[in-house]
Amino acid sequence: MNRFLRRTRAIAHKEMLHLIRDPGAVYMALGVPLVMLALFGYGVSVDIDHIPIAVVDQDHTPASRRLLQELTAGGDFVRAADLPSPEAALPLLGRGDVRGVFVVPEGLARHRARGEPGALQFLLDGSDGSYASVALGDAAGVAAAASGASAALDLPIRVRFNPTLRSAIDIVPALIVMILSMVSTLLTALTVAREWERGAMEQLFATPVGRTEIIVGKLLPYVGLGFVQTLLITTLGAYLFDVPIRGSLLLLFSTSLLFLVCMLGVGLLVSVVTKNQMVSVQVAVIGSFLPAMLLSGFIFPIENMPALLQAIASVFPARYYVSILRGTMLKGSGVSLLWPQILPLALFAFLVLAVAVTRFSRRLA
Amino acid sequence: MSAIVVQELRRTFAGQVAVDNLSLSVEAGQIYGLVGPDGAGKTTTLRLLAGLLDPDGGRVALLGRDPFGRDGSFRESLGYMPQQYSLYGDLTVDENLAFFREMACLSREAFAARKERLLALTRLAPFGRRRASALSGGMYKKLALACVLLHEPKILLLDEPTNGVDPVSRREFWDLLHGFLADGMAIVFATPTMDEAARCHHVGLLYQGRLLAEGAPSELVRAFDHPVFRVGGERASVESWIEKSPDVLAFTPAGEQLRIVVRRGRELLVRGAEGDALRLVLRGRDGSRSPAFDATPASPTFEDVFLARVHERHEQTEA
Ligand SMILES: Nc1ncnc2c1ncn2[C@@H]1O[C@H](COP(=O)(O)OP(=O)(O)OP(=O)(O)O)[C@@H](O)[C@H]1O
Ligand SMILES: [Mg+2]
Repeated sequence: MNRFLRRTRAIAHKEMLHLIRDPGAVYMALGVPLVMLALFGYGVSVDIDHIPIAVVDQDHTPASRRLLQELTAGGDFVRAADLPSPEAALPLLGRGDVRGVFVVPEGLARHRARGEPGALQFLLDGSDGSYASVALGDAAGVAAAASGASAALDLPIRVRFNPTLRSAIDIVPALIVMILSMVSTLLTALTVAREWERGAMEQLFATPVGRTEIIVGKLLPYVGLGFVQTLLITTLGAYLFDVPIRGSLLLLFSTSLLFLVCMLGVGLLVSVVTKNQMVSVQVAVIGSFLPAMLLSGFIFPIENMPALLQAIASVFPARYYVSILRGTMLKGSGVSLLWPQILPLALFAFLVLAVAVTRFSRRLA
Repeated sequence: MSAIVVQELRRTFAGQVAVDNLSLSVEAGQIYGLVGPDGAGKTTTLRLLAGLLDPDGGRVALLGRDPFGRDGSFRESLGYMPQQYSLYGDLTVDENLAFFREMACLSREAFAARKERLLALTRLAPFGRRRASALSGGMYKKLALACVLLHEPKILLLDEPTNGVDPVSRREFWDLLHGFLADGMAIVFATPTMDEAARCHHVGLLYQGRLLAEGAPSELVRAFDHPVFRVGGERASVESWIEKSPDVLAFTPAGEQLRIVVRRGRELLVRGAEGDALRLVLRGRDGSRSPAFDATPASPTFEDVFLARVHERHEQTEA
C-alpha cells in the first residue's frame, strides 16, 4: 500500500511537472473557460438594461405620470423622449434612437379607479429579435410590478422566452458543464497517448509500477487543475452574471469533483485505447463536448426528446451534473433531493476508471 | 540455475517471423551480446524478455520467474533500457533519477549513495539541473543507463545502449557495466556492431530472428575454419570476381585492400613468379577462373565470422 502511494505520488508529481512546463495546457485549462464564459455569458445578456424608449402620455393624469415614472425607475428602460402621439415615435424607432414606445391611453386612470383592468400599449422595434424579446420580458415584468396590489395592468402581448435565449442565471450552470467536459477530457486525452508516442511507456512498463498507479497518478494533477477551473467559473459566474449559489458550497464542489473525475476518466480511457494524440483529441471532443452540449438539457430539454435519445442521454454524466448544478446553485437543493443525480455520476466515475485500467495493456503490441 | 533462460521463443508480427525458436541462457555475472543487423529481431527479443510483448510460443525464466504471467514481481529485479529515447525530456537529470527512484521505491539513503556513485561514474554530476532533452546523445544514454541501474537490478537488458556514444564514453560505459557484473548482474546487450559484441562473455549471432551461432567470441573465432585473406590488386576486377564467385562467403574493405572469406577447400592458391608472394585465384559459377590476385592470409575476426555465417544462412534458405 505504501508503495502504491509512493508510485502514485511520483507519477502525479511528474505529470504536474509536464503540465507546468507546457504552459499551453495550462492556458487551455484556464483560458478556454474564460473565453467560453464571456462568449456565452455576455452573448445572452447583451445590454438587457437601459433600453431607450419613448413615452406617450395621452391620459395626462397624476396617476399616469406616476405609472410612467415607475416604468422607467427600475433601470431596465431609459426614458429617451416624451412624445404627444405614438405616430411621432415612428421616426425615432426607424433611426434606432428608441427601441420601444410606451403608450398610456386616455382614460386609463379612470378605468383603474373603477377597479377595471387597464391596458398599456408597448410598441416595439422587432428588427432585432433577441433584443426585442428581452425588452418584452422586461416590459412585462415592469408592468406587472407597477400594477401592484390594484387591478392588473395588462400588456397586450404575452411574452414567451425563446428557449435558447435563457438568462445568464440559467446558462451559467450549463456552461460549467460544457467547459469542464471539454477541457478536462482534452487534457487527459493527451497524457497517456503522449507517453506512448514519446516512447516513455516502454521504459515505464518495465518498472514495477502498476497500471492503477499510472492511471490514478495521471488523474490527480488534472483533478486539481479542473478544480481551479470550477472555482474560476462559478466565482466569475456569480460575480459577472449574478448567478446565485443558494445550496451548499461543499455539495457544489464535491459533486463537481465527481464530475471532473468522470470526464478526466473519459479522456484517459480514450488515450489508453487510441495510444495516439491526434486521434485521442478528436475522439475526446466528440465524446465529451457534443453530449455535454446536446444531451445534457443545455440546449434541448431532455424531457422533450424521443425515448431513444433520452436513453442515450442518461448514459452521459453531463445531464446529471446539469441537474445537480441547477439544483445547488439556483434552487438550493441538498443531497436528499439530488442523490438520484449524484449516484449515476459516482457509478460512471468508478466504471470509466476501472475500464481504463483494464484496457491499459502493458504490452507494446 | 542460469539467471536468464530462454527456450524456443517465437514471436510473429502479422505472420512475419521476428523471433524464431530462440533459445539461450545467461549466467549471473555474465554479459550476453545479441548481435545482428537491423531488423534481426534484437529489440523484439529484449521486449519479450522484459514481458513487454507476448510470445507466440516458448518460455522465458528471469531468475526462475515468468515475465508473461500475472505475477509482476520479476520487474523488481529487472532493468530495461529501450533502444529509442524513453526518458522524460522536459524533466531534468535529477528529476528523471528521482522519478525512477520512486518507481523502484528506494530508500533515501540507498538512493543518495547510488546516485552519487552513478553520477560520478557517468560524469553527469554537473548536469543535475539540465533537462534531459538538452543533453548530448551520449550523455542522454548514460543518464538512461543510470536510471535503470538505480535499483541495482539482477537482470539488465540493454538495447543498443552505446548507439551514438563517442568512443571515450563508450569505454566508460563498459567499465560501468563490468563493475556491476562483478556483483552478479546478468546482462543482455543488443548491438549491431561487432567490436562491442567481442567484449561480451558470450555472443549470439542473430539473423532473421534465429541464432546462427553462439559462444564466447574468441571461441567462435577459433572454431571458424574458413580461410581469410587480404587481397590486393585492381579493386574493380577483384570486386567483380567476388560477385561472380560462389566461394566467397564474406568480404569487407580494409584500406586499399579487401578482406575476403573463402569457403574452406575452395581456395586456389598459386605461388607468384618471385616464388614468395602468395596469389589467390577465384572460381566463377561456370568454372571460369579469375586472374591470380596478390593475397595475404589473415586470421579471422569476429566480423568475418558473423558475415560468413549470415551468408551461409542465405545459401541454406535459398536451397
Ligand atoms: N510492433 C511491431 N509490429 C510489426 N512488426 C514489427 C514490430 N516490431 C518489430 N517488427 C518487425 O520485426 C522484425 C524485427 O524487428 P526488431 O525491431 O526486433 O529488429 P532489431 O534487430 O531490433 O533491429 P534494429 O537494429 O533496427 O533495431 C522487423 O522485421 C520488424 O519490422
Ligand atoms: Mg532494435
